[in-house]
Amino acid sequence: MNTLNRKRKQFIVVSLVVPILLLIGFVVFPAIDLFRMSFTDWDGFSKSSNFIKFDNYIAMFKNKDLWLSLRNNAVYFVVHLFMIFVELAFAVLLTSKLRAAKFYKTMVFMPYIINGVAIAYAFSYFFSPVNGALNAILTAAHLEDWIRNWLSDPKIVNYVLAFVSLWRFSGYHIILFMAVLQSVPQDTMEAAQIDGANTWQIFKYIQIPSIMLMVDFVLFDNIRGALQVFDIPFVMTAGGPGYASSTFTLYTIKTAFTFSNFGLASTMAVAIMFMIVIIYVVQNTIIHGLVLKDKKTGGKKHGKEKHTANS
Amino acid sequence: MDNFKKVLTDKYLLLGFKNTGIILVVSLVFNILFGTITAFIIERFEFRGKKVVVALFFLGMLIPTFVTEIARFRIINSLHLYNTLGAPIVIYVASDLMQLYIYRQFISGLSVALDEAALLDGCSYFTLFYRIIFPLLAPATATVCIIKAINIINDMYIPYLYMPKNKLRTLTTFLMDYANAQQGSWQTLAAGIIIIMIPTVLIYIFFQKYILAGVAAGAVKE
Repeated sequence: MNTLNRKRKQFIVVSLVVPILLLIGFVVFPAIDLFRMSFTDWDGFSKSSNFIKFDNYIAMFKNKDLWLSLRNNAVYFVVHLFMIFVELAFAVLLTSKLRAAKFYKTMVFMPYIINGVAIAYAFSYFFSPVNGALNAILTAAHLEDWIRNWLSDPKIVNYVLAFVSLWRFSGYHIILFMAVLQSVPQDTMEAAQIDGANTWQIFKYIQIPSIMLMVDFVLFDNIRGALQVFDIPFVMTAGGPGYASSTFTLYTIKTAFTFSNFGLASTMAVAIMFMIVIIYVVQNTIIHGLVLKDKKTGGKKHGKEKHTANS
Repeated sequence: MDNFKKVLTDKYLLLGFKNTGIILVVSLVFNILFGTITAFIIERFEFRGKKVVVALFFLGMLIPTFVTEIARFRIINSLHLYNTLGAPIVIYVASDLMQLYIYRQFISGLSVALDEAALLDGCSYFTLFYRIIFPLLAPATATVCIIKAINIINDMYIPYLYMPKNKLRTLTTFLMDYANAQQGSWQTLAAGIIIIMIPTVLIYIFFQKYILAGVAAGAVKE
C-alpha cells in the first residue's frame, strides 16, 4: 500500500509541476506584479525603478484623455447591453422549429470565426471617405445628405466602431443562448403547453429561469469585453482623431509600449481589473435584486440550473 | 486576379503561413498534453493542496488578458524570448485555460470503474493515463484543437507585441503590414483580406459541430 501511495504522489507531482509553474510564472505572477509596478516609475527597459507611492494613481485620475477613453468604452458597453435582448430573441427564434435554422446558426457564428484584423480592414473600406462602399451606396440611393466621415467625425466614430464590434460578437452570444435553451428539458415545455401556456409564458416561466446562468455569463462577458475593446479601434482608427475613439485598454497599451511608461500603464491595468469586478457586482445586484427579485430563491434555483447546464 | 497574384507571391505571406503553422502546432501539442493530465488529476484524485491548485487555475481564468501583458512583457524579456517564436508559444500554453473545463466535463462523464480495473490489472498511473484515458478524450481534444486553432490564427495582439521582427510575421501581422503598404488601394487589400480569412473559415465549415459544442461548454464553467 505504501508503494502505491508513493507512486500516486509521484504521478501527481510529476504531472502537475510544469502546468502549475507555467500558470504561476506567466499568469498569476504577472497579475500580482502589476500591483507592485503600479507604485513605480519603471520605463520598460531600465534595470531599476523608483518607488513613487501613489503618484501614478494621482496622475491616472487627472488624465483627461484617459477619462475620454473610458467614456468611449461606455458606448460599447451600452450598445452591447441593449443588443443582449435582441440576441436572446434571435436565440429563441432559432431554437424554435424554424426552417433552415441550421443554416442561420452557421451564418450567425461566422463573424466570430473570421480574423478580427481582416474584419477591421474590410469595415475600414466600407466606411472609408475615399471610395468607401457605404458612401457610394448612399450616393447611388440619392441620399447624399447622409454621407458622413464615418471614421473621423468624433461625434459618430465610436458608434460606428461599436457597430463593427456588434457585428463581430453578437453571434457568439446567440450561440451561447441557443446551447443553453436547447438544454431545457423538452418534457417540461410540453407539459406547460398541454396545460395551456402560451409562447410568452413558456419563455418567461420556463426558459428564462433555466438560462439565468448563461445570462450571467454573457453579462460578465460584456463587461470584460467592453472594458477591453482593443483591436477594432486599434486597426480602424488607432484611437483617432486625437483620442476621440481611444479606449481604456488602447490607452493603457499605448502608455506602456509607445510612451514607455510601464508604471503608469500598470496602474491603469489595476484599474481595469477593479472596474470589471465593481461593475459586475453592481450589475448583478441590480439584476438579481431589483429586476428579477429572486434574492430569496436565488440560491436554490442556481443549484438546479448548474445541474442542467453541466449535464 | 492580378491582385491575388500580388498577395500570393509576397514572400512574407509564405513566412506568415510557416510561422503561424509552427506556433499553432507546438502550442496545441502542449495545450493538449497539459490540459488532459491536469484535468484528469483534478477530477480523479484527492490530494493535499488540491483546493489551492484548483483555485490557482480558476484565478488564471479571471485575470484579464490584454493588460497583464504589461507585466508579462518583463518576464518574456528576461527569459530572452522577445522577438522569438517562443514568446507566443509560451503565452498560448500558459494562459487561456478553457481546455481545462472542456476536459474536466468530459472526464467526469467517464466511469471510474475503468480506472480501477486498469489499476487492479497492474497498470501504472502513467500507463492508465496515456493508454486508456487519453484516447477516450479524443472528441474533447478535437473540440479543443479547433477552437484554440481559430483563436491562435486570429490573434493579432501577442505576435504584434512580442515579434516586431519582419521575419516573424504571422498571418495576422502580415495583413497589418500589407494593409499599411497598400495605402488606399482597396482592391489589392481586399485580396489580402480574403486570403487571410480563408484558413479559419475553412476550419469552421468543416468542423462546425465541434466548435459549437465546445464554445458553450467553455462558457458554462462555474
